[in-house]
Amino acid sequence: MAGITQRSVCSGVTFRGIRDDRYKTVLMSINFFLPLNRKTVSSNAILPFLLKRASREYPDFTKLNEHLAELYGAVLDADVQRLGDVQILSVSASAIADRYALDGEKISAELSNLLCSVCFAPPLQDGLFPEDGFLQEKRQLEETLDAEFNNKVGYALRRCEEIMCVDEPYGIGRLGSKKEITSLRRENLTAAWEYMIRHARVEIFVLGDCDPEPAFREFSDAFRSLGRTSFELCPTVVKKVAGKKKDVTERMNVAQSKLVIGFRTGCAEPEKGAPAVKLMNALYGGMPTSKLFLNVREKMGLCYYCAPAYNSVKGILEVQSGVEQKNLKRAEEEILSQLEEIRSGNFTDEEVTEAKCYLSNIYHTFSDSLEAMENWYLVKTMYAPTRTPEEEADMVNDVTREEIVEAAQHMTVKN
Amino acid sequence: MEQGVQEIRSERLGDHYYEVRHPSGLKIFIYPKEKYNSAYAVFGTKYGSIDNCFRISGEEGVHRVPAGIAHYLEHKMFESKEGNVDARYAKVGALVNAYTSFDMTCYVFSCTKHFCDCLGILLDFVQQPYFTEETVQKEQGIIGQEIRMYEDTPGWRVLFNLLRAMYHSHPVKTDIAGTAESIAEITPELLYECYRTFYNLNNMALCVAGNVNPEEVLSICDKMLRPSKPMAVERIFKPEPDSIVNPRIEQKMSVAAPLFQLGFKEPAVKGRADVRQLAYTDILLEALASPASPLYRRLIDAGLINEASFGSEYFEGPGFASVIFSGESKDPDAVEDMILKEIERFRQEGVGRETFRCARNTVYGKYLGAMNLPSNIANSILSLDFAGREIFSYLSAVAEADEEAVMERLKTQMDPGHASLSIISPDQ
Repeated sequence: MAGITQRSVCSGVTFRGIRDDRYKTVLMSINFFLPLNRKTVSSNAILPFLLKRASREYPDFTKLNEHLAELYGAVLDADVQRLGDVQILSVSASAIADRYALDGEKISAELSNLLCSVCFAPPLQDGLFPEDGFLQEKRQLEETLDAEFNNKVGYALRRCEEIMCVDEPYGIGRLGSKKEITSLRRENLTAAWEYMIRHARVEIFVLGDCDPEPAFREFSDAFRSLGRTSFELCPTVVKKVAGKKKDVTERMNVAQSKLVIGFRTGCAEPEKGAPAVKLMNALYGGMPTSKLFLNVREKMGLCYYCAPAYNSVKGILEVQSGVEQKNLKRAEEEILSQLEEIRSGNFTDEEVTEAKCYLSNIYHTFSDSLEAMENWYLVKTMYAPTRTPEEEADMVNDVTREEIVEAAQHMTVKN
Repeated sequence: MEQGVQEIRSERLGDHYYEVRHPSGLKIFIYPKEKYNSAYAVFGTKYGSIDNCFRISGEEGVHRVPAGIAHYLEHKMFESKEGNVDARYAKVGALVNAYTSFDMTCYVFSCTKHFCDCLGILLDFVQQPYFTEETVQKEQGIIGQEIRMYEDTPGWRVLFNLLRAMYHSHPVKTDIAGTAESIAEITPELLYECYRTFYNLNNMALCVAGNVNPEEVLSICDKMLRPSKPMAVERIFKPEPDSIVNPRIEQKMSVAAPLFQLGFKEPAVKGRADVRQLAYTDILLEALASPASPLYRRLIDAGLINEASFGSEYFEGPGFASVIFSGESKDPDAVEDMILKEIERFRQEGVGRETFRCARNTVYGKYLGAMNLPSNIANSILSLDFAGREIFSYLSAVAEADEEAVMERLKTQMDPGHASLSIISPDQ
């Protein structure tokens, strides 16, 4: 596997490239990091979608998409994520590598050019984003929230996070609320866009089968010409101990109840204890041989899925399951009782070795996928030092039994 | 390499793989990907949720089994006399999984170390059924909850409602996992009967891709595979009329906005579509409804679809085929209307040279992108092979397609007289 190169572009802007001809494709992305804030969350969230639909060069949505289709179905994509208390606004472009083009087209050069033009040269009219595009993207953002409600597994998970983190930026959500999206005004978006390109922390990636150098030059020129002097630092609040436990039930017309229990782990990256929480998470329920799977599913037959997920940036861990309403209490008791087992050290050395092998396998697989590598380094840019997946596997491998018990003991769901 | 090994190359991709007819009866595909860390294997049988009625060659009688049994069997294959298969994989740090579709059941693993051990376990456990009253009984609760989960998944419901609106008798309309009632009828004896019929190596295939050594793979296969007596299974479907059942089906669920699927049923034919037909349909759908198309633009401008959910696919398997458009929309009937008009315009005016070229390039690019991941490669090779197709030939068919061939394909597809619209709408 080829290594990653990292270069500073200008204040708060970093470029990372991996050149690797194992892939048949190329992936480029510009990611803007801004603090999650109730006042700006929705006006920020609409930006990547507004940007990727047109540019001064391609002001028409259909013409732009025709051009992408011609470039062998190149994809111009927009995304909004929440990572800790940070909102990440991404615009990305991906396509096949030049050597696979049927007519010798220079696809990678086109790709970086397109990405630059949509991010830095939107087709403003009288200084504003065009009205039709704004209305379309606003509607689609509202519909994204509707779709998130339709998926009950995801909905329950997000509700748990909102309830847990009601007093923290994390509780705001990645897009903001329906009300905030509905009240978006086109007049405010040009300033939001300018603030984003001038003051967000920016991480740029160019990965796959292409020379990153021309793209580096193009993106560097664009950012340097802005004269950036300062950028948002984007801290994340990590609560060490959970507040008073809140039990919230929402009733809906569904066949199966969804149960989510949110814990504070007391530990987030880059703290020393984070690898131990990852291993504890695997032992607790991350694998088909771990405690939740073997007991709540296999032994008690209460569910089809029962799994925890550790959010290492925010330091929270959520266990989720789908169970019959009448079994909710039993499932909750068993989930907590299995955690008690780990806290008391009731697990074998063999289980620990298996959890280490399991995680090591996952870490060593990342470099076989462009998307997985991009995501890995995007998260890693949140804190120093930037580790490779292989280095992280070694750290997990060094975790001791005592550290696992300690990690489980620090998990809190109430005072 | 030994006899029976054929190397298949693609100059376009710069890739190659081996196809092996193993003396045990199993077809084996090996697709080495240089410099990859991981290896992926899929061991599958041509047996899925639609195989509820079958005849074994040389036998008189017909076997009828409960809906959902292929999926149930997949779950139960993870248990052996020695315990759970997951535990065996945990020792070597690999991820094992399985899936059941309409027409196949596959067991898969991915690993970065101990590949030979992992492959050995795969070949071993899939060849060793072990079902008891107690273990079969235990699964009722787990699969019962899996079925309940699907009941709450609008994207799943909208598809099966559509299939029920299109198909009179073909078992594709039945949920892959079955129902609470149908799985209650499953016994160890029925599981053994289905296992013996469909888990015959002549009805199966193995595909490995990624960081693999062909000699090693074959040597493990030689050691682990127990020859199966050649046999043939005949899938029996009740005759399926060309007509649809209902032009419209609607269900209310706890959703914030409606979802829809619009299907165009095609007459049942013997055999499956070939790579050319698949390629032409994929290009046609791209030309008709991709983000670069006039139809897409009209739908977006009218506020009828969104980019995150709208799409089209060719949904095709043994005894069934249909083109399906899907998405979220405040007014699915209006979407149907616009799609029908555009299909008619295509029939009258043709695809157009430029639109054709863009659509072909897009299908070509999508296919190439999917060839990065060993899991995608292995799963595709297997499912294509089960339908009598070869993966590199599909790419050639796309690259060499012309506008006339695509228009010819339209003549037999997307007949408005055979369209059904399925809608999931908010319950309040």
